[in-house]
Amino acid sequence: MLLELSEEHKEHLAFLPQVDSSVVAEFGRIAVEFLRRGANPKIYEGAARKLNVSSDTVQHGVEGLTYLLTESSKLMISELDFQDSVFVLGFSEELNKLLLQLYLDNRKEIRMILSELAPSLPSYHNLEWRLDVQLASRSLRQQIKPAVTIKLHLNQNGDHNTKILQTDPATLLHLVQQLEQALEEMKTNHCRRVVRNIK
Amino acid sequence: MELSESVQKGFQMLADPGSFDSNAFTLLLRAAFQSLLDAQADEAVLDHPDLKHIDPVVLKHCHAAAATYILEAGKHRADKSTLSTYLEDCKFDRERIELFCTEYQNNKNSLEILLGSIGRSLPHITDVSWRLEYQIKTNQLHRMYRPAYLVTLSVQNTDSPSYPEISFSCSMEQLQDLVGKLKDASKSLERATQL
Repeated sequence: MLLELSEEHKEHLAFLPQVDSSVVAEFGRIAVEFLRRGANPKIYEGAARKLNVSSDTVQHGVEGLTYLLTESSKLMISELDFQDSVFVLGFSEELNKLLLQLYLDNRKEIRMILSELAPSLPSYHNLEWRLDVQLASRSLRQQIKPAVTIKLHLNQNGDHNTKILQTDPATLLHLVQQLEQALEEMKTNHCRRVVRNIK
Repeated sequence: MELSESVQKGFQMLADPGSFDSNAFTLLLRAAFQSLLDAQADEAVLDHPDLKHIDPVVLKHCHAAAATYILEAGKHRADKSTLSTYLEDCKFDRERIELFCTEYQNNKNSLEILLGSIGRSLPHITDVSWRLEYQIKTNQLHRMYRPAYLVTLSVQNTDSPSYPEISFSCSMEQLQDLVGKLKDASKSLERATQL
């Protein structure tokens, strides 16, 4: 699958052959850093002064590179497809190799960052438990009522949430049994076939 | 057990065969247990024809006294001798003491269950449901190909009548971690019951 680059995109990337490959590598590093932490316009100005171009040109160059890397990572295109897509830009072989290397080196991390953008439910983080026995209450003395107190740690959009819950021994066994069945499902023929065939 | 004068007076009236004959006594006693334990009991529990001849104010007083005493006795898990002692002090004859103790014994379990269920507690997990899915792509990320679980815990709250649910997603490894920890808890529970 080839990447389709718009005219505007190609224009932005046209800046790259005009600079040293070390600069392109630096732009690559900036692009990934921006994906990790967000854009910092001051960096554009500094680079623009050093290279003697407008800061807009630098910005476009970095953004073009960012888009190239994220689209390639999102689609998980093969090395060959990446090379073919970049070929249309008419860059030197050295630059093409550099771009490919940038893609391969950063693909995994970029995909991880992109996965955080998906709509998400709270996700499991940890579970702590405690065994309690209720001995008395205001309305009844001399009890022996076992219970399991659970602290469930969940993550959502970076926020850490905890829920404190309780359950009785019978329900606890039921929970374990049900969830073990859930795990077993992955080992069934049906699921194995799906995993094998949808790639 | 701390019991008020009102309860004592009510019982003294109940003890008197002049105010309550045997039949009326039994009826009132049963009515007291019924209004406490029967969820469908209505206000007409004292409307029995054999109780009509008794002054309604007296009837209500004695009914309230009996109900109060039954609850206190249940709360403190009173045994037969404690019951007998108190009833003797209220001038109950032997026959009425026996009757009371028998009725109490018959209803003891239901009473204790009722009292035990009153009170605040943490949200209580009642059930779990799960869903296994195979994630293929999102609009931000294609070619994902990984399985994921969605687990929903059904929770019951004593404070509010609502039934909130807690849902969360997890990977296979995370679910294994969760199940492992729950199994630890249940093994620990088993060991504790064998001590």
